[in-house]
Amino acid sequence: MQKYKKTTINKNQIVDIASNMKKDGRQLVMIHGYVDKEGQNVVSYQYEVKNCIEAYEVVGGKLLPTISHIYDLAAAWPEREFEELIDVKFEGLKIKGRLFMPDTMLEGQG
Amino acid sequence: MSYTIPIGPNHPSLEEPIHAKLYTEGEIIKDAEVFFGYNHRGIEKIAQERNFIQTLVLVERVCGICSHSYPFTYAMAVENISNMEIPKRGQYIRVIIAELERLHSHYLWFGIACHIIGFDSMFMHIWNVREKVMDILEEISGNRVNYAMITIGGARRDIDDEKRKKILKMIEDLSNEHNRIKDIFLTDKTIAMRTKKVGVLSKDDALRLGAVGPHARASGINTDVRKNAPYSSYDDFEFDVPVLSNGDVLARVVVRVLEFQESMKIIKQAVENLPLGAINLGVKMPKVPFGEFTARHEVPRGQLSHYLISDGGQTNYRLSIHVPTFKNAPTIPFMLRGNTIADSGLIIASIDPCFSCTDR
Repeated sequence: MQKYKKTTINKNQIVDIASNMKKDGRQLVMIHGYVDKEGQNVVSYQYEVKNCIEAYEVVGGKLLPTISHIYDLAAAWPEREFEELIDVKFEGLKIKGRLFMPDTMLEGQG
Repeated sequence: MSYTIPIGPNHPSLEEPIHAKLYTEGEIIKDAEVFFGYNHRGIEKIAQERNFIQTLVLVERVCGICSHSYPFTYAMAVENISNMEIPKRGQYIRVIIAELERLHSHYLWFGIACHIIGFDSMFMHIWNVREKVMDILEEISGNRVNYAMITIGGARRDIDDEKRKKILKMIEDLSNEHNRIKDIFLTDKTIAMRTKKVGVLSKDDALRLGAVGPHARASGINTDVRKNAPYSSYDDFEFDVPVLSNGDVLARVVVRVLEFQESMKIIKQAVENLPLGAINLGVKMPKVPFGEFTARHEVPRGQLSHYLISDGGQTNYRLSIHVPTFKNAPTIPFMLRGNTIADSGLIIASIDPCFSCTDR
C-alpha cells in the first residue's frame, strides 16, 4: 500500500531537509509546483521513504534556494521546468536556455 | 578538429521530436545537450478543466505505448484520496493489462534497438512476435492502444474464462519464442560488439542523476516500485527484479530480456488465480473530497508519478504528471561522453526514451 505524508516547511529548511534525505540515501521522486487559490506559489519536494512519499511543501516563495548541488540534475530539471511554468526562481540554479517552453515565451507565463 | 553536430528536432531517424547537440572532437563525443518541448501539449493544464472520468480518457493519450499506465496511476491517486478499496478482481485485471503492456513495450524497444544496430531481420522477427501480445490486448479491450480498461474504482471490462485460456496459451507460445530471442541476444557476436562497453552509466552517476526503471537497474540500482511500494495486489505475486552492474547498453538489453520473463510469470499467476467477484465498485461519477496524493507505478520505462490535488470540486485542482523519461534523459550526456558519433543514436535509444510522455 502506498502512503503519502505532507509537511509544510519554510524556505530556509529546504536545503537542510534535502541534505538529510541525501545522507539517508533517499531518492528525490519529484519536485512539483502549482499556484494555489490565493495566487501563491506552492512547491512540493517529494522524497521516497520506503513505501511512503514524504512531501515537504513551501508556500508563497518567489525566490527559493536550489537543491541541485545536492541532487544534481534530478533536482535541476524539475526546478528548470517550474521556472518556466510558474513565477518562481531558484537561487543558484545554473541554466542554459529553456528546457520545455520556447525561448520567445515571457517569464513566468507558462 | 571540433564540431557541434545538431540532431533534430525534426530528423528522418527520429520518431519523435527531440533536439540533441553533440560537441565532438573528430569522431569522439566530448559533451552533449538535449532539449525538449517540441510537442508539448499542456495536458496537465487541460486536466484542470476535466472531471475525474474525463481525465482518465485524457491522460490515456499522454503516451501511445504505455497508455494503460497513465489512467492506472491517475485512478490510484483518486482512489487513495477518496479512500476507495478496489475489488481484488479489478486489481488483478489492472495488473494483467499493465504487464501485457510491459511485454509489448519491451519488444518494441528490442526491435528498435536491433534496427539501429543494423540487425533488421531480428527487428522484423521481434515485431512479428510482439503482434501476439497486441492481438490479445485487442481481443480483451478492442484496441491496440488506449485500452480504456480503467475506471475509478476498478476495471472497466472483465476477462472471462475463454480469454483467460487464450492469454495462457499466448504466454506459453511467447515463452518458447522468447527463449530463442533471449539466446540470440545473449550469444550473438554482432549485438555484443555494438553494445558491450558502449554508453556506460556508472552506479554513482545513475544514483546522482536519479535514473529510474530498467535503465537504473542495468547500472546496479535495485529499484522497482512494484517491490518498494506495492500497489494493486503486486505483493500477491512472486517475481524477481533483475539487477545488473555493467551499466552499458548490453546490460540494458539483458535487464529487459530478464524482466520480460518476470512479467510473463506475473501474468500467468494473475490469470490462473483471478479472484471471483466484482471488477469495480460501480462508481459512475466519483465525489472526491479535499485532499492530495502522489501515486506511483512502475511503467515499462521506470517510475511514473501522478501528484493529484483535489479541492473537493468536480475537477482536478492540480494534476502533475512526471514520467520516467524526464528522470532518465539527464543521464544521456553522461553516457554519450567518450563514445563515437555512430553510437549516439543507440545510446540515446538505450534509455527507451518516450518524448511523447515527456512533452505531456
